Amino acid sequence: MSNVRDYMIRTMNSVTPDDSIRKAIILMYRSEQSVLPVVNHQNLFVGTIYSNNILKNIIPESFGFLDSSRLFYEVNEAVENLKYVKDEKVEKYMARNRDAVKEDSDMKKLADIMLNNKESVLFVTNDNGFLRGFIERSNLLHYLLDETESKTAAEE
Amino acid sequence: MITTVTLNPAIDREYFVDKNEVMKNQFIYNDEDLKIYPGGKGLISAINFKSLGYQDVQNIGFVGGKQGMFFEKMVQKQDIISNYIYTESEIRNNVKIIGREPATYTQYNDYTYRVEKEEVKELIVRFKRSISESKCILISGSVPEGVDFDIYQRLIKIAKDKGKHVFLQASGEALKLALKSNPDIVTPYFKHHKTILDMEMNDKEDYIRAGKEIQKQGAKRVMIPFHCDRLLFDKNGDVYQLSPKGYCIVNWLGSSDAYNTGYLDYAFQTEDFDFLEANLRGGAAALWIAENKEIYLQNREDYNSYLDRLEINKLEV
Repeated sequence: MSNVRDYMIRTMNSVTPDDSIRKAIILMYRSEQSVLPVVNHQNLFVGTIYSNNILKNIIPESFGFLDSSRLFYEVNEAVENLKYVKDEKVEKYMARNRDAVKEDSDMKKLADIMLNNKESVLFVTNDNGFLRGFIERSNLLHYLLDETESKTAAEE
Repeated sequence: MITTVTLNPAIDREYFVDKNEVMKNQFIYNDEDLKIYPGGKGLISAINFKSLGYQDVQNIGFVGGKQGMFFEKMVQKQDIISNYIYTESEIRNNVKIIGREPATYTQYNDYTYRVEKEEVKELIVRFKRSISESKCILISGSVPEGVDFDIYQRLIKIAKDKGKHVFLQASGEALKLALKSNPDIVTPYFKHHKTILDMEMNDKEDYIRAGKEIQKQGAKRVMIPFHCDRLLFDKNGDVYQLSPKGYCIVNWLGSSDAYNTGYLDYAFQTEDFDFLEANLRGGAAALWIAENKEIYLQNREDYNSYLDRLEINKLEV
């Protein structure tokens, strides 16, 4: 049986609810992660901050429907909105979901959670809820490829 | 969870050539002649702890730029939990050219890495929340440009306020200031300084005086490298000398990190801590690295077989 710990990425890259949106944005682009875990001051996982959610809040009306004639106006509006939003706290924009997976969970269970929730990234915790890292669709595909190839090898 | 701290990481690149000559193009076709690995004292110990079977080992520090991302991938490949503050500036690359015939060693040390004040502030915040699961913190190595020398003092204070044990390997001003926060174990190193606490180190008496002074200024236990030996300063004031017997050194790189790992591994595994036994384990681990062309430890059995090649004598001081 393969566990999440066999395929996950181990990193503590995270923000806290008290951190500013500016800090979250800087961390997102420097770490090349558009979704970050939110932890409390003990490093316990408490939620998720999505870059999409920040964008939705700075281009509130037309996010996802930008047409080229309004693009310039929308970008300017986003820049103006971000002036205020960047100093606000992560807690205002984070999702307080608890969809983290445990590092010793079965990879089969992970496939189920990831596909049902349409999440591209799931954060990984230990049994006590402390952050350990994340697992994403490419890791799931890696696992599935390993399974396919070991099954093929067994049949041969 | 074991926490190690590496503030000044580097990507180390080793190129092996037949003969290292100036103004000559070299071509490397063999994988074995090119080694690229993540460097940094705390990190090497972290990799050692993983090899010894510890499940959760994290490395805290700075990385920067695209090369920082590459560094982090190499760390994660070792199953270490990366816990880095991403800086604007690119991290360092150290280049080593090793010639076989004649045996030569040319090293280009990169000290261009720079960390900004805001990034240091962020490290402090991250460190505070990241050590909650650790009983012991290993802080080791140099301090990058832009980081004040009191950084170790600040990190140790945070850890001590939370009741953690701190093992410090440092040098120069950073070491001097760090003692104010009372680290539990201190081992100075000499990469950039031939002094300890501004005292010139010439003969054994100088080293003994320095060890005593480090204890006076705040450390409980001290281990000072003395040529190929170590001078050990126990918390009750006793001083010992640890010496290897009949050794043949082929590699220094990673030996002091192995020492730290062997010492702490013993401390983690026993309920009846003995300072001399801990140093024997550390010494055996360092000797194994020094006599083998390895940077990282592989298992306890390897270096425990070196235990009978070490002796400890009490010094009258």
